Amino acid sequence: MFELFTSMMKEEWRVHSTMFGSLSFALFPVMIFGIAFMGSFLIPLMQVTLPAGNLTLIVHANYLMLGIMVGGFGLLGNEVMNRRFGQASLLAYSARSLPLSEQFIFSNFVVKDTVYYFFLWVLPFGFGYIAASPFVGIPLARALLLLLTLTLSFLFGLCGVFFLSTVYARSRPALWSILLILGVGWGGLTTVTGTNPVLFFPPLLLNSAFTWANLFISCVVLALLFGVAIVLFNPESVGSEKMYKDSFTPLMRRLSFLPNPPFNAKDTLDLYRSGSLIGQTIFSFLLPLGVIWFFLALLGPFFPPHGLLFIFAITTGVIASTMYTWVTMFDTFGPYACLPVAVSTLIGSKITTFAILQVLPAIFIAAVAILSGEVVYLVPAVVLGISVSFYAVSVMAWLCGLSPNVLVYDVKVLFVYLVLVGIVLTVFTSVAFADPYFALSSVILAIPTWLLVQKAKVRWDAADPAGF
Amino acid sequence: MAIVLETKDLTKKYGDVIAVDNVSLSVEKGGLFGLLGPNGSGKTTMIKMLTGQTRPTGGSATVLGLDVVQDPVGVRGHVGIIPEQETPPSFLTAMEYLRFVAAVRKIPDIEPKAEWWFDFLDFADKKNVLCKDLSRGTRQKLMFTQAFIHEPALALIDEPLINFDPIMQDVVKDYLAGYVKKGRTIFISTHILEVAEEICSGFAILHKGTLLYTGPVAELAGRNEHLPSFFLSLVRKDRHV
Repeated sequence: MFELFTSMMKEEWRVHSTMFGSLSFALFPVMIFGIAFMGSFLIPLMQVTLPAGNLTLIVHANYLMLGIMVGGFGLLGNEVMNRRFGQASLLAYSARSLPLSEQFIFSNFVVKDTVYYFFLWVLPFGFGYIAASPFVGIPLARALLLLLTLTLSFLFGLCGVFFLSTVYARSRPALWSILLILGVGWGGLTTVTGTNPVLFFPPLLLNSAFTWANLFISCVVLALLFGVAIVLFNPESVGSEKMYKDSFTPLMRRLSFLPNPPFNAKDTLDLYRSGSLIGQTIFSFLLPLGVIWFFLALLGPFFPPHGLLFIFAITTGVIASTMYTWVTMFDTFGPYACLPVAVSTLIGSKITTFAILQVLPAIFIAAVAILSGEVVYLVPAVVLGISVSFYAVSVMAWLCGLSPNVLVYDVKVLFVYLVLVGIVLTVFTSVAFADPYFALSSVILAIPTWLLVQKAKVRWDAADPAGF
Repeated sequence: MAIVLETKDLTKKYGDVIAVDNVSLSVEKGGLFGLLGPNGSGKTTMIKMLTGQTRPTGGSATVLGLDVVQDPVGVRGHVGIIPEQETPPSFLTAMEYLRFVAAVRKIPDIEPKAEWWFDFLDFADKKNVLCKDLSRGTRQKLMFTQAFIHEPALALIDEPLINFDPIMQDVVKDYLAGYVKKGRTIFISTHILEVAEEICSGFAILHKGTLLYTGPVAELAGRNEHLPSFFLSLVRKDRHV
């Protein structure tokens, strides 16, 4: 039954290459390779202020986070198996007419996605580093080891969240119980060893001292997480009917102070009823940021005083900007095409719903400021985080309109996004490091944010609405 | 008779593929006009252009006097539309979706209107079910309702009967016939020729994006011809050409 897997691989390629051209999609990993290759030449410079081990830590954290961000298959499962994405009915849905179990179809889908992410993100980065290693004096064996441990780091994030999200889809109390156990274990490990548990992260252990036994154990843990997640996967059966009393009208009335209350009420119900509001908050926001916090905590000594809080606020801002994908993932323009609605109206309303969701990162950054004993910098940290989030989302809306999940794999889009957001992050990280209160100056980002949103509206009104 | 829909050399190209090629036609007020053609002939693209869902690459079109390129939202505000593929939003119930439509279209007093439609199309028991859980036929009923609930002067429907059972097809055909008698206009695209012959007053035949014929159905009857055989002979001749 390898045919299903290969057909899914072809389908994935064609979905993306049809949308923005084979070349643009094929160039995506080339760009990641280029970034890693060129970035490797900065290693000797960075090592002046940041020891090599800490750089390794940052890269592993990034790949763990990437795995976490894309691993929520448990949340995605019902959409894949029961419905359509845009106008395309995926092979996973039509394969149900074949004598194949849902578990088998879904496991093929997950493996296919994992392989794609691996070839798009992990492998090109590793190769970039390997290609640069002779020029920056890094032994080839070390570069190859990094590729291996980055792959493991990515897979740990992916399989871990795949497992947790599947548990969440089956039973929310079970998820809370597991998270509680993990939290107690984490706290216990910290107390007993007096060390940040991140240092026991298997890929990091392997990277610092490779042993075949550790590699084997890592692979077993990954296989176990993946296997249990597949076994637990249980999509809603076709034909089930969920009934609700009218919540739309009261919600619309409550949101009447907003510019487009019907759209915001609809978005809110989409998020709530699909389980995405809680699921995405846990798996795409709290979990990645929790992991990042523990990794960043190890780098504290290398930042200026209070720098850690502001680095964390900026990271939170970038991750919070992906909440735009939460509100755009439910529908294309298609369902609105029979109504007197412009694409610009939808972009505006999605950004308004996104703005409501920004309460989450604001509370989160404030909580971190309080818990880390830096309550005095609470306001500048929150302002910086939220300003970055709104700016990043305006860039996303301008580049991708209502399809950020799809168009991000267009190499031109990703390049422009990285440049526009990267410049702002660099500038405001430096500003906040110079003086924590200077971070308040990030409110100035409201101007480019507003301009980009206006440009996004004009641009996407002029384009044919995308069917994805 | 007033013209409610007019196209002049309307063209749509997707790269090298010409989906609609220089189509010029006009539809008079108060009739049921059928756009006929085999699969892939450009019918859906025509409806998409006429409702501002996609931009023409050439020519022009006006609907109820509004230019579809200059004012697509205005066009959609005045007409009713049932797209071929689109379904109502997944996580709203049928009733909530109609409330959403009413809010967007600014239709007052939606409750009794919605209830009438639930009863008329026999899906009152589904009004509190999430749209994603509705059957294809019930979704089509809901899409039909949203297109007519504001009683538009012109409705554009892509394959109006395709998901309905025979009983519901009958109900819908009667409704459409009664609707045009009130002086309103309906523009449908279909490849079910028997239905077109039964309900349409005027028709146009599209093949490979090109307009082969346009005229009143009565003209065929006068020549003792039936629409299905006329259609087939025209399309087959075009294939040979």
